Amino acid sequence: MKNMLIKIFVPVISVLCSFIIGAILITIIGGNPMEAYTYLFKGAFCTPANIGETVIKAVPLIFTGLAATFAYKCGVFNLGGEGQFVMGAVVSIWISTTLKGITGIPLIIISLTLGTIAGGIWGAIPGILKITRGLNEIIVSIMLNYVAILFMGYLYTGPLREGNVPQTASVPVKLGRIFSQSRVHYGIVIALILTLIIYYFLFYTSKGFKLRAVGLNQIASQFNGLPVKKFMLFSFIISGAIAGLGGSVELHGTQFRLMSGFGQGYGFDGVAIALIGQLNPIGTVLVAYLFAILRTGATTMQVGSGMPTSVIDIIQALVIVFAVAGSAFINLPKIRQFFSNVFSKPRKEPL
Amino acid sequence: METVFDIIFIQELLLSTVRMATPILIVALAELYSERAGLVNIGLDGIMTFGALSGFLICYITGNPYLGILAGAISGILINMIYAFCTIHLGAEQIVYGMAINIFAPALASFIYKIYFGISSTLVQATLMKTVPIPILNKIPVLGVVFFNHTPIVYIAYLLVPLTYVFFSKTKLGLNYKAIGEFPKAAESMGINVMLNKYIACIICGILAGIGGAYLTTAYISTYSDGVVAGRGFIALSAVIFGRWMPGGVLLAALLFGFTDALQLRLQVMSSGTPYQLLAMIPYLSTLFVLAFFGIKKAGPKANGKPYFREER
Repeated sequence: MKNMLIKIFVPVISVLCSFIIGAILITIIGGNPMEAYTYLFKGAFCTPANIGETVIKAVPLIFTGLAATFAYKCGVFNLGGEGQFVMGAVVSIWISTTLKGITGIPLIIISLTLGTIAGGIWGAIPGILKITRGLNEIIVSIMLNYVAILFMGYLYTGPLREGNVPQTASVPVKLGRIFSQSRVHYGIVIALILTLIIYYFLFYTSKGFKLRAVGLNQIASQFNGLPVKKFMLFSFIISGAIAGLGGSVELHGTQFRLMSGFGQGYGFDGVAIALIGQLNPIGTVLVAYLFAILRTGATTMQVGSGMPTSVIDIIQALVIVFAVAGSAFINLPKIRQFFSNVFSKPRKEPL
Repeated sequence: METVFDIIFIQELLLSTVRMATPILIVALAELYSERAGLVNIGLDGIMTFGALSGFLICYITGNPYLGILAGAISGILINMIYAFCTIHLGAEQIVYGMAINIFAPALASFIYKIYFGISSTLVQATLMKTVPIPILNKIPVLGVVFFNHTPIVYIAYLLVPLTYVFFSKTKLGLNYKAIGEFPKAAESMGINVMLNKYIACIICGILAGIGGAYLTTAYISTYSDGVVAGRGFIALSAVIFGRWMPGGVLLAALLFGFTDALQLRLQVMSSGTPYQLLAMIPYLSTLFVLAFFGIKKAGPKANGKPYFREER
């Protein structure tokens, strides 16, 4: 309970601090923070269609956030979410535009599955290089991001280009919409089910327990006979697969085609979201939704109050700066002592 | 394809190799100073981005690229001080905090650019640093053009390599500094101020990484755009690993990565038929291959990446 409170405390304070600094920035550049923030939340919540937009924007962030969470739980850093996301979408567009004779739901299922596998394979590369050659997975996964993005660029300007504009053809089958008045698609359902599965796996199965054990202390896990390297590779593959599925869902549900900027920044955003969400799948969903609210409202804010949308980018970036510093701060021995004094009940003195 | 082995072509290729290797070299040295004090900083890409922006901005306002470089150095320190405080004093995980810097610094840079130049701005050009040929030496055929016809930053970057070597291997100060990255407890008991030295490491790292970023916008191209750094911070990180934490090795690694970058640019110009995306992959793929075949498992400073608390036993 005490741990839960502290875990919620840090992100909430970080968000508040970021909004305060955001307000100061807005004032410095000659705006009215109250007005800007009002437009921000109006833009996110005033109509059902806008609320739908926040959900749509949250979907890819949930996937990349979960991908980062999963890898980190096993003590490896997957910064390649963006590349895996893109590769998932690339394979999906290729399959769904070239596969003839299959349409409707079977095609979507095949496309999503292959997209997931593609992400998994792309995620396996840093994993394999780490456990066999001892390479730093951060560098490998980031180099692979650039390769994936350039490869996607090659496809939509070359072999898969349609028409004069550098973009691919649209996917033949789209993910269905849940409500008639907004663009919310079944991707959010997939994302939420996946969240629950990951939560169950990590905290209620023995495999998940072992995976977290590897993440907490590799040497101790090794001594207890856990196959540390296997777990690392496994977590990289699953992490990549989650991101790949995300790319596939984003393609079939929201973007429908590949073009410049597809998936841009989602990998790092995922890492930020995972860290702010305290590496908890449920927390990840909540923070992803917060980021989506900010992004949806940002456009309205720009139109309404003239504040550029990059104010929102700063606020997001500040949340991560504060959240990570805050988590470290409350884990300092002195501060931990202080908190345990505050939370422990005063002992009744026997008379 | 006959022109490939032309002497002019080779000269141009080597010239741009030296030029392209410069930012990677400076930033790799920044990381070297940081890691020798036990601080893994993967936020280099972010610091570079911010350095690139402030360098460009000051260069644009004053018209003086050297002031731009200075601004890059100062802003590098400022950004890296956030990292320094959180990792040294709060004991935040260094990789995680570096990541936070990688997200924060580009967002701040993009924000400042948009505020200053307006939301829908066209590409703004600033003055580019002029090359300063070194007299006499630049008259040597081929080599003169390749090595002695550059901007001063390039010379400084290459001069830093022997200086760094001498500092780390021949001076008492440098040996003390290295001890912090190897075994901070022992260093502390020998009377070395670990905390102070770690901050100094972060200042040096910030200066160099900021200059590396500013070099891109003041001496290499004359514009700033989001993503101008294009992962060079991470390539510099791998240059440190590939160079086995030694200044000479880092120089070779930086030259190799600079060469791949120069090569892909030359090929783009020459073969218009090949899609440029495939050629642009060369630097990233070669970084991967080089690391996969020549990277070694553990050679860095022993206490690298570990937080240090004075009171802890």
